[in-house]
Amino acid sequence: MIDFHTHPVLIRELVAQDPSFERAAREVFYIGNNFQPLETFLLQMDVAGIERAVLLPVACRRARQVDVGTNEQIVELCAKSPRLIGFASVDPGVKTAPADLERAIRTLHLEGLKLDPALQDFDSGGPEAWAVYEAAEALKIPVLLHTGLSWAPGSALERGHPLRLESAIRRYARLNFVLAHFAWPWVWEAVALAMKYPNVFLDTSCLYYDSPKEFFEFVFTRQIPITLVERTLANQIVFGSNYPRVEIKNMVRALRALPLTEGCLNKILRENAERLLARGHEAAMSHRHDY
Amino acid sequence: MIIKLERLKIQSRRSEEAINITALVEEAIAQSGVQNGLVHVMTTHTSSGLVVTEGIPCLEQDILTHLARLFPESENYHHRRYLDYDGRLGFNADAHLKSVVGGISCSFPIENGKMVRGSRQTIYFMEYDGPLERTCLIQILGE
Repeated sequence: MIDFHTHPVLIRELVAQDPSFERAAREVFYIGNNFQPLETFLLQMDVAGIERAVLLPVACRRARQVDVGTNEQIVELCAKSPRLIGFASVDPGVKTAPADLERAIRTLHLEGLKLDPALQDFDSGGPEAWAVYEAAEALKIPVLLHTGLSWAPGSALERGHPLRLESAIRRYARLNFVLAHFAWPWVWEAVALAMKYPNVFLDTSCLYYDSPKEFFEFVFTRQIPITLVERTLANQIVFGSNYPRVEIKNMVRALRALPLTEGCLNKILRENAERLLARGHEAAMSHRHDY
Repeated sequence: MIIKLERLKIQSRRSEEAINITALVEEAIAQSGVQNGLVHVMTTHTSSGLVVTEGIPCLEQDILTHLARLFPESENYHHRRYLDYDGRLGFNADAHLKSVVGGISCSFPIENGKMVRGSRQTIYFMEYDGPLERTCLIQILGE
């Protein structure tokens, strides 16, 4: 199983190496839990049955004076465990962003791009982001964007609205967009994008109140019908936990409690992520032959 | 009078786990140089605990099983909400309640440099929401 959405914000090895990382975790990402050794991260994966996890940094130095993990830090962590899949982050607000991304993928061998319009304070649908999408499309990597509500202090809710992405999704049709958090609360908008555009994927890392089980039950059976997940979107959803905002084990358990077939769960927990990570639009689109 | 405080790091490896720390407490006493006094052990976390019981696997299992029966994960807890001071969701009320009921500390006398305990008494660090690296305090007072 693959967790497509984790953050390295509580990994102690990063704080030991870079004291500014503590401020990034506490004041920018805004999380209060104790820092833990990387070993805890891997054990959390173990108890959840997760074999590999995507680690996401956020290049938000321009907007927040500090990055929430740098590409180089992600590379260092990934070097410690083959179970970690490193994504890059670049700031669309700086002119070097496309070149920064190319270096992160070609030189540092990171495997995807993470953007957070709320934390990074840019318009995900605006021209400033286009050069980055163009570079990502050329590099044949997926881009995972924070969509939906962001808890980050000082961030604007509107930055996370999924429909802001529609023009980019249309313009870069060979780039696979992963809309994180199911864009909650704009779930129907995110679903509509995924239904209309085959290059749109959704990750399950949505949890804003109640327990994971209760929240998943609400979103996936009442906010949208579960049949929509099983019959229409099964090839475009990837499991994401948003660890450490929530423990991976709880999100896996919540997903497994939904009335979904094993085949559908397998797609969400493994196959769709594998396709996205297989470097290339064609690989990710291979599910289209199912129809 | 000697007063020593040791911070013991414990890496739990499962969601719930009973970890025997008796030997670690005895070692801390030996290293403190205290011959006669008191040792106090406590966890610094609210979703873990400390218990003293007979050191056998069946009891470890029974404690965890019956605390889970008392505080099922599926219960309707007020704690299930976004904790704005913490940047996280609070949905581990069951772990907190196990900690409250099971206790978070224990004390034993020290005599002639050794912890005085019943032959079957074993000190367990109780993980209720792991795996996590945890901190246990061992304070030794005496002379």
